[in-house]
Amino acid sequence: MAEILIQGAVSSAIYAMLAVGFTLIFGVARILNLAHGSFYALGAYGAYLLTSLGLPLVPAALLSIAFVAVFGVVMERVFVRPMRKQSLLAVLMITLAVALAVEQALFLGFGSEYRNVPALVSAKYTIAGVDIAGQRLLTLVAGIVLIGALWLFIQRTRLGSAILAISQDPEAAQYMGIPSDRIFALVMALSAGLAAAAGILAGPFLTVQPTMWLLPIVKAFAIVVVGGLGSIPGSILAALMLGYAETIVAYVISTSWTEIISVLATLLMLVFRPAGIFGKRAAF
Amino acid sequence: MFTKKIDLAGAALFIAVMAVLPVIVGNAYLTGVLTVAVIYAIWAVSWDFMSGLTGRENFGHSLFIGAGAYTAGFLNTVWGFDGWWSIPAAMVVASLFALVMGFPTLRLKGPYFALAMLSSAVIMQRLMLIFWEYTGGEEGINGVEPLIDSQLGFYYFALAVLVGVTAVLIALARSNWGLILRAIRGDEATCQAAGLNVTYYKIASLVISGAIAGGGGAMYAHYQLQVSPALFEVVTSITVITMVYVGGMASIYGPVGGAILLVLLTELLRDFGEWRLMIYSVVLILILFFLPQGFIAPLWERFRARFGRSST
Repeated sequence: MAEILIQGAVSSAIYAMLAVGFTLIFGVARILNLAHGSFYALGAYGAYLLTSLGLPLVPAALLSIAFVAVFGVVMERVFVRPMRKQSLLAVLMITLAVALAVEQALFLGFGSEYRNVPALVSAKYTIAGVDIAGQRLLTLVAGIVLIGALWLFIQRTRLGSAILAISQDPEAAQYMGIPSDRIFALVMALSAGLAAAAGILAGPFLTVQPTMWLLPIVKAFAIVVVGGLGSIPGSILAALMLGYAETIVAYVISTSWTEIISVLATLLMLVFRPAGIFGKRAAF
Repeated sequence: MFTKKIDLAGAALFIAVMAVLPVIVGNAYLTGVLTVAVIYAIWAVSWDFMSGLTGRENFGHSLFIGAGAYTAGFLNTVWGFDGWWSIPAAMVVASLFALVMGFPTLRLKGPYFALAMLSSAVIMQRLMLIFWEYTGGEEGINGVEPLIDSQLGFYYFALAVLVGVTAVLIALARSNWGLILRAIRGDEATCQAAGLNVTYYKIASLVISGAIAGGGGAMYAHYQLQVSPALFEVVTSITVITMVYVGGMASIYGPVGGAILLVLLTELLRDFGEWRLMIYSVVLILILFFLPQGFIAPLWERFRARFGRSST
């Protein structure tokens, strides 16, 4: 029981880190970013590359996050922005093409075998009689801290208000003189950095290989559908639901069936409540 | 589109070239490449019929392809049915998948359909690996029997299927049906206001698209003589979409050219082995930027405008 509680919390934290960024960029810029999983993969590979070059892990992790954030901004500027004028689907198409290009670049650069990202914490801890790897615990804590910081940033700062304003009413925000292009760049950097952090934190106990961008996209999509597209509280709640549902199924039935849950949840939610838990009916 | 003599002439010329090529060159390797090209063309045409016409992009066409191929694999090797049952059975199974996916997602506006298709294809591939005891895991299912013993015979069968499918889909696309699908692409709200059951049309066209893709998947299984989870991969879907983009969206005949062109190009790039998919994704990005209308269909339109006398 305690084991389910703790393991579920860890996977929920990873999912939340992925889904919050995914839903944030959608809520603000109406960009559905299929390359979001690539940020996660690039973060893990960046940390792997820098540590194997001999950098200590903490600066390597920070550098990698910064690099991915810049990559996200550049991607938005160069590839996504011209497509936003066309349609939502053109954006989906270009981000999917970028995701494939990143996968292939990783494959050409590192080959298809699994890579190891070193863990920040190698100790084991025992909580309520459950043994848990320090890295998992760190992931949980870091996830809570990062998402909490993001929440405070959006709620408490001027820039955060600008982000909120654009997501609520892009036109009015423009009239008030909020520079939406610059805000998009900032949100893209936050979203990409958060995904990269998830990749670095989860890298040590998940497989790091070129195709690792795919499942996070599937999970993030399931979470935003359940939580409501564009809603941050919704995505956190849905991340908890998915994380725990998968953990419970893994313990009670078998790990084989965990993968089905995300797609099943997506389809059922779309049948019964397409707007999601906290979504506004008019997400589009 | 096919009322003009010049279109019929173009189509006849294309079929003749495709039919004569393997005989003239006469090597088994080229025949194999052309067979793959023709099957890809079937997939591309079926994708275009749903997604090109309605503008609802399907990012998980490999779901139908894989479902059809695995249906063929199971029927033929596990339950020992004759190979000719595979194609109809695959079409039925893929149609069911299309219904399950289409009903929840196509009622909605926005990206739900595109993303849900992508997700389900990814998860189907995972399931094929997870339940390896039944599906053969990474290896897939081997020992699928060939439909037609001679390689050239199978190629002609595939070519005939492609021509038939393309003709039927062009006829459909030019009927009222196709008009409604195009109208949905243009302005869904107006269609709804005009009293059309938009959702029904979208789901029905997805079922047709899925069934044809599934049938093509079964043909592919009987050509490769094995089925593997790689069929479900996102790359399969992207390859098909790239072919449609190269050919020209919503033209139905364009994607056929796009598929054949890209498969032949890929063969030329065989020495680049590992770079193949990278080249694919770069081609796709370039086309999205510079040729959103595609390449083959606009060329043909221009050619027609110059030489086709308007004898409708």
